[in-house]
Amino acid sequence: ASVMAELLQPDSRMCNYFFLYDGSKVRGEADPTRDGICYFYPEETPLDKQELLCGQLAGVGRCVSELSSSPTRTLRLRRNKFAIRMKDDFFWALGCSVDVPTVSVSEFLDQLIDLFCFYNGPVRRSYQLNSQETLAARWARYLSHLQSGSSELSHIFSCLRTIDSTNVDPLLLLKAALILQACQRCPLVLAGCILFRGRVVSTQMSPGLTMKVMVHESETYTKAQRPNGTSASSSFSGTVSSTTVFLTTPELQDLQSAPVDKGFRCCPTTPQRDGPSKKTRLSRTLSDTPSTESQVSNPSSSQPPQKASLSPRLSDLDVFSPAPTHSAANSLNPSPQSLRPSLSNGEHSVEDEMEESRSRKSTGGRSQIHSEGDGSVFEEDSHLNGGEGEGAFGGVFDFQAVESGNEQPHDDKVVEEDSSVSCGSVSGHSAGKSDPPPLLPPPHRLSDASEENALIPMTLYMHRVKGLVLALLVEPHFMSDATSMEEVYHSSLASLNGLEAHLRTISPGAPGGPGPYTFAHFDCVQSTLTTNLSGRSGGAWDQPFVRATSLLHSHFCNTETLQEAIIRSASTAVYGTRSVAQETYFQQNGGSLRNSGIPNHQDSAFSLPSKARHRLLKHGVNLL
Amino acid sequence: MKCLLIASESAEMLFYWTDLEFQQNIQEQYGASQEEGHGFPAFEDSISTLFAPIIISFSTMLTEGDSYTSFTTENNHIYVLHQFDECLYIAVNGDGEEKEEDLRRKIYVMNKMIEVLFGMVTLSGNLLRKELRARDTEQRLRLWKHLQSLLETYSHLRENDQSFLVEAVERLIHPTLCEQCIEFLERRLVQQINSSAERGGEEVLHAFILVHTKLLAFYSSRNASTLSASDLLALIIMAQNMYPSNLDVDDPSPEDIDSTSGSGHESFYTPEPSPTDKDSSGSEKPVRGSTPVFEFVDPDIQMAEDSLSALEVCPPDPATPHRVFLEVSQKDGLYPMMPHSMYCFSLWPGITLVLLTKFPHSGVAMSVYTFLEAFAKLEKRLNEGQGGSTRGQPMHEVRSKLDKFLKTLALNGIQSSQLQNVWTEFKNRAFSRGGPGFSRDLIPWCKNMKTQLCGIYRQCFLSDSGPDDTPRRLSPGLQERAQTMVQEKLMDWKDFLLVKSKRNITMVSYLEDFPGLIHFICVDRSSGQMIAPSLSITERTTSELGKGPVAQYIKNKMWSLVSTTRHYLQKGYSTLTLRDGDFYFCYFLWFENETGFKLEAKDIPTMPDDSAPIGMLARDYYRKLLRYYSKNHPGEPVKCYELLTVHLGVIPTEIILQHCRQLASKLWEPSRNPLL
Repeated sequence: ASVMAELLQPDSRMCNYFFLYDGSKVRGEADPTRDGICYFYPEETPLDKQELLCGQLAGVGRCVSELSSSPTRTLRLRRNKFAIRMKDDFFWALGCSVDVPTVSVSEFLDQLIDLFCFYNGPVRRSYQLNSQETLAARWARYLSHLQSGSSELSHIFSCLRTIDSTNVDPLLLLKAALILQACQRCPLVLAGCILFRGRVVSTQMSPGLTMKVMVHESETYTKAQRPNGTSASSSFSGTVSSTTVFLTTPELQDLQSAPVDKGFRCCPTTPQRDGPSKKTRLSRTLSDTPSTESQVSNPSSSQPPQKASLSPRLSDLDVFSPAPTHSAANSLNPSPQSLRPSLSNGEHSVEDEMEESRSRKSTGGRSQIHSEGDGSVFEEDSHLNGGEGEGAFGGVFDFQAVESGNEQPHDDKVVEEDSSVSCGSVSGHSAGKSDPPPLLPPPHRLSDASEENALIPMTLYMHRVKGLVLALLVEPHFMSDATSMEEVYHSSLASLNGLEAHLRTISPGAPGGPGPYTFAHFDCVQSTLTTNLSGRSGGAWDQPFVRATSLLHSHFCNTETLQEAIIRSASTAVYGTRSVAQETYFQQNGGSLRNSGIPNHQDSAFSLPSKARHRLLKHGVNLL
Repeated sequence: MKCLLIASESAEMLFYWTDLEFQQNIQEQYGASQEEGHGFPAFEDSISTLFAPIIISFSTMLTEGDSYTSFTTENNHIYVLHQFDECLYIAVNGDGEEKEEDLRRKIYVMNKMIEVLFGMVTLSGNLLRKELRARDTEQRLRLWKHLQSLLETYSHLRENDQSFLVEAVERLIHPTLCEQCIEFLERRLVQQINSSAERGGEEVLHAFILVHTKLLAFYSSRNASTLSASDLLALIIMAQNMYPSNLDVDDPSPEDIDSTSGSGHESFYTPEPSPTDKDSSGSEKPVRGSTPVFEFVDPDIQMAEDSLSALEVCPPDPATPHRVFLEVSQKDGLYPMMPHSMYCFSLWPGITLVLLTKFPHSGVAMSVYTFLEAFAKLEKRLNEGQGGSTRGQPMHEVRSKLDKFLKTLALNGIQSSQLQNVWTEFKNRAFSRGGPGFSRDLIPWCKNMKTQLCGIYRQCFLSDSGPDDTPRRLSPGLQERAQTMVQEKLMDWKDFLLVKSKRNITMVSYLEDFPGLIHFICVDRSSGQMIAPSLSITERTTSELGKGPVAQYIKNKMWSLVSTTRHYLQKGYSTLTLRDGDFYFCYFLWFENETGFKLEAKDIPTMPDDSAPIGMLARDYYRKLLRYYSKNHPGEPVKCYELLTVHLGVIPTEIILQHCRQLASKLWEPSRNPLL
């Protein structure tokens, strides 16, 4: 049985040091370094040691960034490697053992900072509003959350903890997805996820956003729902709570826009810093398509509900089976579309957008609907998609998938979003219209830095039923809108209770002993890790496997064209393979490797790829 | 955008090299434009100001027990730092052309070149600082320029020459000619020189002929120790630096080949400086790089003024050899940094003869090294708190030896009064009854002794003339005769050799047996030699790889593959296969005994990321590896081989692996093996 990663070595700690240093507090020669230290982990570190590290690293970081006219990203020492972030006068450093891949350390730091901003808003502002102690406690909490139950493998891959889907009736997952969709009928609800005992059951949000939401969940879970800083609504018997959270512009756009974006470009094989890089959703439902108030207020809209129902699935196919694109593009000239890392550069994203919309048009994707506004196309389209769709999907899926766009008045925000977006060819399509279409796919990345940095306050609503939590990102005024709240609460209550009862009865798969092989399978799109690595039994094969995996993962991250690799020492051999959507690592355990290091096709290391293909099928990993 | 600098612990700039882009970048940042004509010192000031915080922070962190190894920035600039003794080396790349590993290698190679040029003086931070940063500006600039040009030559070779990619010597594959030449070097050349009265007390130990960077013939006299692969590679860099054979230049056209005189091809020939030309950089003319050319005053005047000034790196007289410090293996062990003279003759553009000689008094170097080692060991013991009179026991032996040594120095007219004084003081403290004995108090005196010993070494081997004031070198006439002799011998072969060196072996001969094979490199790490099909990627020539971008692409892949394999080797993986784009790469490292029997693999030690780069030039990783492996095979000579292959990805893996196996056995078959 496959065991999720967090079961492994619960006390293994990734981070040796973490600090936030505010250079603006230490301007003059006489200012002591300690004035600049906002937070230092481990907190028990002697102050002079803290000062030394902060002073030296921040000093060198600044010097290097001046020499190179670019912020410092890593500072490596012989025994520690530090991921660095510099913004305004703030200087963050996260120090890990040198064995942890650099990409992973950097990702960890990004997550940590994003997490802080998600719950507290902009850093400078939070430090103006709150005491240093309060915020220190928060940093500590986020740090411990990100490290909690982490195994060595999860140091390498930052992954979502999900319920073990092999043990769960798929119908339950569908049920969870339906609950979320039902909630989304309320126009104030952006998206949601359902968590059970700290693991994701279903989510409509990107893995990154889901991870952030989970921090609050685990917090309320461990605090046994005692009311704290977050406001608990008494009318719902203490099971409902909410807190203010801050979304980045791309995150918000992502939630408000059509889901079918270039998810495959967001595979974390690009070691760049993109907060918003993982955009695709775990549970992709039709309700992922944008919803506007108007749609819901006019459920009997003139648009046939099925119109859009097929197209997102088409695009889903694009997203989830990118292999053909990849293999075709793999060699001399990596296709810009599939392999180019997401760029934050404006020009490129506009170009991408153009390509994207062009290709969609030609493949008959969703964009047809709004591409020309041409009546005949429209009709033909709806006819095409509608015909059989109505019977098949009409009853199951809610109406929000309806793209009612053009004729409807829009939510202000959406319009605003659109105007900021329509910088490329996309806007060209709509130029002739009085009413800009709101349902254009927004550019993947907004080029404007300030816009990307902007944090928009939203509300995180949580409804707990024992170990089960429904978490929804809602518009701030949702909490004051009694009708909406009640509607959401009551429409989901029964279903949540039922789901909880079912999930509770599922026993977690017992971790098996060391098997004949070890594997790890990382889904880059969903950010999930499947492995049979049994950390508890401390198998003799685990350590070499983790080491090899770490090396190979770094290699995959840094070499876009690399597809598979076998690495072999005298005692172990590990096979690694990746596509744009996944990375898989496989090691045969037991028995000594045949033949020495000489070139020999009978070397058992070279049979690993075929063994991996066969063995992993039963784990649902398809390497064919 | 590249830079490499050496700084002392007090952030004093001991050496720097930058490319033009980096220099401009610094100048822009520094704002104020330089005064006309004095750009150099002003630039030096700005670069040391900008780097000073990093250098100081390095020392601060070091005293706390952990210091920097590398930095990266968001725009992918890389900084690598490494300290050798008291010198901090920093290498920077901002154009994506070098990775961290390349920068670290560059630092180690720079250190190696400095060791070859300065020998044991590098063991004393203080003396080395004085050598690298001579008080006289022009002398300093001249030395820096020489080092800069060596660095550029190395970088160029590493980027373009397969033998410097894998750091092993490539031989020219022509067994008959090779044999003839060796015989000629032995019977005619070396014998004649060593029996000549004009040899000025010197004795030729090694003689070799290079065609570009490839070795045509190598001869060592009977009483010479083996020249290590590391030293040989360093010498090839120096020879290339003196007589650059521009490998970027296309094959000589027929007209070029016809013009046989040395003045032929200007693009890769630099005329010898005339005797009156005291600008010694003439014989060292760098063809690449952007370092400005400076005017120098007569260096001899400065030398007289400052007795502790830097040595003459670039002899004003072309007949003056280069002093190089190489490893010598004796029955009683290895002696690093033993003084030799290096004579380098350009026979024709691209073909070079190198002679390595030893000279009188070189025994002093061995003694100095033995004493240095003894004091270093004592210092270490004292530091560890193991003083005690019994622990001082080995020092009694040293005591009598050193007393004898001082007498010998005096007899040979070597200035040793300071050493004498320090030694007397040391003896008073260590051996006298009432003295402090072997305690921690002795540590500064150990250091002092080491400095003094290095000073003796410097005086004997780095200063211009020997202790007896006679010029130590083969007479110019003898040198000229040697050059002419070899020229005559090779006259009929020279055009062939120049072409052959670019077509040493070609893939064509392998295509039939190994369909789908694109390229390979084989290395015999026990002998430090490699073999690989030529990778010619110039516009005019068409190799099997085609020309232009495709060949360049495969070359780049090959270069990155080598760096990848090293990374995995560093982490203990000796076999590697990669499917990368349309290609399939394989790498194997294995051991054999002398009869070709494959030995069982053994887990290789893993090393941290910032350890010395894997290779043979700067630090010989493979020698250590062989020593490690041989522990299980005592008394049996063990050989270590590497094979890298690139195949088309469409070839079934099974067949690729069979190819590798066949290739490995074919290349090392005694009858076919061109390396043995």
